[in-house]
Amino acid sequence: MTDEFDRDEEHALTAEYVLGLLTEDETAAYEDVLSVDPDLRTEYAFWADRIVALTDDIAPVAPPPHVLTRIRETIFHEAAGDASRGAGGSWLRRLGLLPAMAGGLVAALLVLWVFTTMMPPTDGGDAALTYVAQIAADDDSLVVQASFDAAAGSLSVDRQVGAAPAGRALELWLIAGDNPPVSLGVMPEDRTATMPVSADLASQLSGGTLAISDEPAGGSTTGAPTGAVLATGQVTDA
Amino acid sequence: MTTTSDIEDMIARMAIGDRAAFEGLYAATSAKLFGVCLRVLGNRAEAEDALQEAFVKIWRNADRYRVNGLSPMTWLITVTRNHSVDRVRARRSKMGAGLDEAADVADSRPGPEALAIAASDRGRIVDCMGQLDPDKAGAVRRAYLEGETYQELADHYDVPLNTVRTWLRRSLLKLRECLSHDG
Repeated sequence: MTDEFDRDEEHALTAEYVLGLLTEDETAAYEDVLSVDPDLRTEYAFWADRIVALTDDIAPVAPPPHVLTRIRETIFHEAAGDASRGAGGSWLRRLGLLPAMAGGLVAALLVLWVFTTMMPPTDGGDAALTYVAQIAADDDSLVVQASFDAAAGSLSVDRQVGAAPAGRALELWLIAGDNPPVSLGVMPEDRTATMPVSADLASQLSGGTLAISDEPAGGSTTGAPTGAVLATGQVTDA
Repeated sequence: MTTTSDIEDMIARMAIGDRAAFEGLYAATSAKLFGVCLRVLGNRAEAEDALQEAFVKIWRNADRYRVNGLSPMTWLITVTRNHSVDRVRARRSKMGAGLDEAADVADSRPGPEALAIAASDRGRIVDCMGQLDPDKAGAVRRAYLEGETYQELADHYDVPLNTVRTWLRRSLLKLRECLSHDG
């Protein structure tokens, strides 16, 4: 009898769930069991597949075209990102990256890894890796690795190989979409260092391009890169 | 004609980000799903928003489709119906319980690109609903297609909430019994 009661209860609850008649708490409790109980999933599928037939006599109506346009805009947002990264390419050309790579103004292979990590509070678990960017040039005389700590709002830079030319500085830039490069600051002389990143700039990192230029000691005084762009790296989702 | 396995295949490809699969699924199913939104919401502008949001959900959850064991059209309609119900309930709670502006649904006509979708043998539920007391069958429809809650059903049938829940649950078990004799 108990079994039968349980089965009836399970059937009735499932039907109520499919019809949306359960309270919020009941729904949450039901879904907890649903996620781990294959028998309940079978019962759920039984009801869902049959109740849905109540929509059989609903006539199809073509939605207006702007609905599709709006859906595309939302779900292919990454596509818009790709386009703006493409536009960013024009900046890179203006900055002289391509000649730098072709002519070897700095004989270097610069690999810039940018790990944008959403760091939990210091006592938290593993950091979630959200973005990676990589740049490579001709030879491997310079390698830089960086990671973004969202909690601290800072970029940790690890220059593993190579350095700025004598008397010069390496300056890091963010190019978001088709915007002009914005300085993230001069890279410190220490091999490892952290560079503060404002919340505004941090929010533009995703899908953006990072560039390192050759600048006078102390960095560009014009607000824009003045020397050769040594390398760039695209920030991508990890 | 778009078959069930075509739709299943499109959902599977959407799960790996295939845009062409999305376009194909939208072409094949959007008219039916828009009909569902219109039926639940009874308002064209809201139905458009609901359809848009439902497709975004479908795109984002395509990778989880297989887990739930539903047939593909059931899944698509369920996502769309549930989302529309959420909206209609939010609207009602904003406006205070009461009148739906029923409305412009009557003007709706099937769109030209409405594609035939393989229908499973669903006639059974019509038969089984027919065996229920008309009030009970009506309550099932109101819950599923209008998103009515137990409270709203109780108000509508002018009985206490617990009473409506008791008799509806009993009817649902009867419905299930009938449905399980499904061939």
